[in-house]
Amino acid sequence: MQVAAPKTELGDNDLAAQAMSGRISAFKELVERYQRRAYLYALGMVYNPDDASDLSQEAFVRVHKHLKRFDRKYPFKVWFFHILANLCKNHIRQRKTREKVIVGSSDEHDMAVPISNNPESIFDRTELQAQVWTAIEQLPEKFREIIILSHFQELSYDQMAEVLEIPRGSVMSRLYYARLKLREILEKMGVEL
Amino acid sequence: MTHEEIKIQLSALLDNELEPDEKRAVGEHLESCPECRREYSKLLKLKEVTSDMHYFDLPDRLRAGYWRGIYNRMERGTGWIVFSIGAIILLAFGAWELLNNFFLSDEPPLILKLGIGTILLGLIILIISIGRERLFSRAHDRYEEVEI
Repeated sequence: MQVAAPKTELGDNDLAAQAMSGRISAFKELVERYQRRAYLYALGMVYNPDDASDLSQEAFVRVHKHLKRFDRKYPFKVWFFHILANLCKNHIRQRKTREKVIVGSSDEHDMAVPISNNPESIFDRTELQAQVWTAIEQLPEKFREIIILSHFQELSYDQMAEVLEIPRGSVMSRLYYARLKLREILEKMGVEL
Repeated sequence: MTHEEIKIQLSALLDNELEPDEKRAVGEHLESCPECRREYSKLLKLKEVTSDMHYFDLPDRLRAGYWRGIYNRMERGTGWIVFSIGAIILLAFGAWELLNNFFLSDEPPLILKLGIGTILLGLIILIISIGRERLFSRAHDRYEEVEI
């Protein structure tokens, strides 16, 4: 397999098409474009750096394995985040099940997960921004997911609807309530917006 | 439209995700509703704070091995497929040869055929059992439920 190739100005979907025809250098370029966002999305969802690395890499492996299924009518990033979001959700679900078995807890809330994520290691940030990230970590999974997709991955409502497989109207309302909850947590932390 | 629905649309207005007529309606409401104006400015402030947050680059340790990790996983998958095809071909050839030159031949004594036949039968049962277990564990694969 050929690996080394100069960087191109091609769009994501063109690179995906080249990767589909077997050009590993095109796939590598896609990985390089998305690796940071993928890892940090996963880290924001699962907190654990090793799991985030494993899940984001697994998402790329899945993408490569199923490239033939990629519909070029849609942006590559929507398909990619759809796979990554599902991997993270699956991981969180299994972790909750394991924790219930170990602890015997029936608490559904994902805040049972220990927070080991240090915002300083993720963002170039001010004190306020660090508090915002700490507050995001305390959001329930569905809210955290949509806040990260909207605020940090900059997906449109239509793209989020595709990634999360929910109607556009649900994206709109879920994002609003997520922001409301985020503000509520920030206010409890003494941060006034 | 209810007040709650308007508030939901404020969030969408902030993201520039409203249709022109919705935008106009929400704009008109904002002019006459101080509560929604306060709500809008709080949402705006939150968005401003997060939009100024920039991700650091990946840690060096991770960046260095990231592509290699993905490539290794992909290569391993291909390796297993190629290995399996080769093994199937060899096994099929071996079974054919064994059948023709051993079991259907008059030379080896019956007791030897019986002994080797029993060993092979046991081996087949073991392989089926392992295969079934593998299928079961695949159904419980940590990533199996993930939709593509």
